[in-house]
Amino acid sequence: MSAGAPLLEVSDLTTQFFTRAGVVKAVDGVSFSLRRGEVMGLVGESGSGKSVTGFSIIGLIDPPGRVAGGSVKLEGHELVGLPPDQLRTLRGRVVSMVFQDPLMTLNPVLTIGEQIRLALEAHQKVSAAEARSRAIAGLAQVRIPRPEATVDFYPHQLSGGMRQRVAIAIALLHRPKLIICDEPTTALDVSIQAEILAEMKELVAELGTALIWISHDLATVASIAQHVAVMRLGKIVEAGPTLDVLTRPQHAYTRALLDALPSRAKPGEFLLRGGGVPDAAPPARRPVTAAAPVPGAPYFVADRVSKRFEARPGALCGLGQKLGLVQPPPAVMAVDEVSLVVRRGEALGLVGESGSGKSTLGRMAAGIYAPSSGTVRFEGRPVMSAGAEPKKLTIRVQTIFQDPFASLNPRMRVSDSIAEGPLAHGLVDKAGSAAYVRDWLAAVGLDPAFAERYPHQFSGGQRQRVAIARALAMQPDLVVCDEPVASLDVSIQAQIINLLMRLRAELGLTLIFISHDLSVVRHLCDRVAVMYRGRIVEEGPAGQVYDNPQHDYTKRLLAAVPVLPEAAA
Amino acid sequence: MLTHVIERVLQALAVMLVMSALVFVGVYAIGNPIDVLIGPDVSQDIRLDTIARYGLDRPLWEQYVTFLGRVLHGDFGRSFVFGMPVLELILSRLPATLELTLAAVFGAALIGIPAGIYAGYRPDSPFSKLIMALSILGFSVPTFWIGLVLIMTFAVELSWLPAGGRGETAQLFGVEWSFLTLNGLSHLFLPALNLAFFKLALMTRLARAGTREVMLTDTVKFARAAGISEGVILRRHVLRLISIPLVTVFGLEFASTLAFAVVTETIFSWPGIGKLIIDSIQSLDRPVMVAYLMLVAFVFIMINFLVDLTYFALDPRLRKGRA
Repeated sequence: MSAGAPLLEVSDLTTQFFTRAGVVKAVDGVSFSLRRGEVMGLVGESGSGKSVTGFSIIGLIDPPGRVAGGSVKLEGHELVGLPPDQLRTLRGRVVSMVFQDPLMTLNPVLTIGEQIRLALEAHQKVSAAEARSRAIAGLAQVRIPRPEATVDFYPHQLSGGMRQRVAIAIALLHRPKLIICDEPTTALDVSIQAEILAEMKELVAELGTALIWISHDLATVASIAQHVAVMRLGKIVEAGPTLDVLTRPQHAYTRALLDALPSRAKPGEFLLRGGGVPDAAPPARRPVTAAAPVPGAPYFVADRVSKRFEARPGALCGLGQKLGLVQPPPAVMAVDEVSLVVRRGEALGLVGESGSGKSTLGRMAAGIYAPSSGTVRFEGRPVMSAGAEPKKLTIRVQTIFQDPFASLNPRMRVSDSIAEGPLAHGLVDKAGSAAYVRDWLAAVGLDPAFAERYPHQFSGGQRQRVAIARALAMQPDLVVCDEPVASLDVSIQAQIINLLMRLRAELGLTLIFISHDLSVVRHLCDRVAVMYRGRIVEEGPAGQVYDNPQHDYTKRLLAAVPVLPEAAA
Repeated sequence: MLTHVIERVLQALAVMLVMSALVFVGVYAIGNPIDVLIGPDVSQDIRLDTIARYGLDRPLWEQYVTFLGRVLHGDFGRSFVFGMPVLELILSRLPATLELTLAAVFGAALIGIPAGIYAGYRPDSPFSKLIMALSILGFSVPTFWIGLVLIMTFAVELSWLPAGGRGETAQLFGVEWSFLTLNGLSHLFLPALNLAFFKLALMTRLARAGTREVMLTDTVKFARAAGISEGVILRRHVLRLISIPLVTVFGLEFASTLAFAVVTETIFSWPGIGKLIIDSIQSLDRPVMVAYLMLVAFVFIMINFLVDLTYFALDPRLRKGRA
């Protein structure tokens, strides 16, 4: 075989799912080739068929799906139509795969060492001692500190980044010629993502492994792949060298994907993908019946709030702790004496990595958690009552959660979900509730006829709109948005961002916007607070924090964000 | 961990105390054991003498306190009917029930779990559908009826297996066991099978549900992507991941069978504690009832405790925060 021949040649690959509703062409005639040591990015939104393409190559399509046609040639050998046993001997040895969430992929009840041994034994006979030493070597290769100790750990004892490194170590065990990575950094914080990206680049260069990097995120792909293919509805719509595709997109879909990114637009501008027919105006607000604000008090203030999470001891343990016989486990300080002021009509971004306490702070701001110490006040009045069983005192602060699947009751029609709060608080009467719900659905850009549907009958973006309608139907003045666009595709994300910007202007809302995505926050917020380990380390106008960060952590955070090459003007 | 053990033991003692009080009052409310013990034609003197001998002439609370005092010294009293120490009586019957229960529960687990894993792994195969159909039968047909059918078929019509009794026994650790002799085993088979039916169905369905769920996870997909064979995935990954509900049910079923194998023991005239308790209820043999139910409470709590310990062994995530 000549050195120039491609390692992998995929031609006209078609994978179909035979469901009751009919045949779904998940992958519809995809062709590309990959040389040894080359890194290719496969980009697309959910449902574009990018993951199914990866699984088709490795022969892991579960029924009712199957590869219906085309060919996958690895080093000249045809893989499509190979019997399962022969495919299995290739998997892990010649081609291996890394998945999105290492917490889901690693077996929680086996040690890292056992899992590596199983993967070794799949292709060769190894003694227990040899398996252990190879496991340690494999972990050391992916830069895991103290591999001799880590090998005996269980997955839950490792951080997300470490877990993903373990998964990569398992994928690299047999020195495969090709690794397929399916959204490998999507579940990780930006700084961990930057580390994994850099390490992966080094490793493939060192080992000469070819890599297919599947992702929805153009920026991460741009930072690792020499070539990129953009997929849509099972087809590759555009492919070529990464820089060319990202700076001079030829296909309308690629351009639309790029335009939907908040990082490519001026802060505060409507993103292009969300355009089209303007939505209906939101329903009229109730007359202001709330008590007049306490004069001189800031609009919204969190005053030295802290939140401790403690393990609740058993009866005997509790007694032992009281008597001083047993040491109580250390409490977790999720938020540590944080103070925050939000002015009327302002949008404040709260950024930080997972575990930084930003969601906990958001929940205290919204009156969901009672602070362990300190108070949250809205117009000078506390949001929650004091005492043993604190209750929320105002309906003028509402929350939009990240996962509308989890926050909407799956057994309630969305009309009932939306009307529940306003009815309970007398914002609307029984007779008027149906019309009220329809008005709000229209205001968030949904067909009012959808009112009688259940949450599962909506797409992800639509469901988030329902969640927004439900929060806003309470006619709040301040809305805490906890990662409202984190689980959405970029084009849907753009629509939701546009919707939030429009509603904020129309309703005069004040926003606390929590996100790990720095570009979204910059686009939407006037001011930014950066959280790290339960404290706010830096706070200021968005432009100033982004362009001229002061704190070390902010600098690191901003440096870790992958940047897209600028489009040619 | 030590505090955990102490907590459980205290819990067990409290439940046993409550149990003994309930049974004391309950039996007192039902009737006077003396009426059952001695004939109506004996003289009044003998009658009063007997009542005094058993301490039944004192107020109930006094009887109860005396009983508790004796229990603290390991004396659960003497059976009214058998005239022997209750503890000895129960312990002499326990091995028979224990071996029957162990045979039934382990048999159900050893057949039911693999069958369930298979049915979950290949949900659409005809064999899996047959397994699931049979498991519905196991759930819905009453135990006593299956017992009678088993006797009719294997003992009466085919004469392959004996219809009742323990058969020959052999000694191990100073206790008589049936499973050590061939004849004893043939006596054990039918009642164990009868007891196992319901558990078999339960284990099968649980294992199937767990397997179906786990097979769809990324853990299995990742293992497949590493080239691990299906057999190893089922044995090493899936079995471990579905084991917690299985262990829970195993423990509960073990305890409840040990305590309440009454119906099967009656049908197959198996001389275990199930038969003993039925007999003592009929003869209002209070000491046996009290001691038996206290023992049952103790067994339930201890088995649940062992199940909890097994959880820690099976799932490392639960060990967090426990020293």
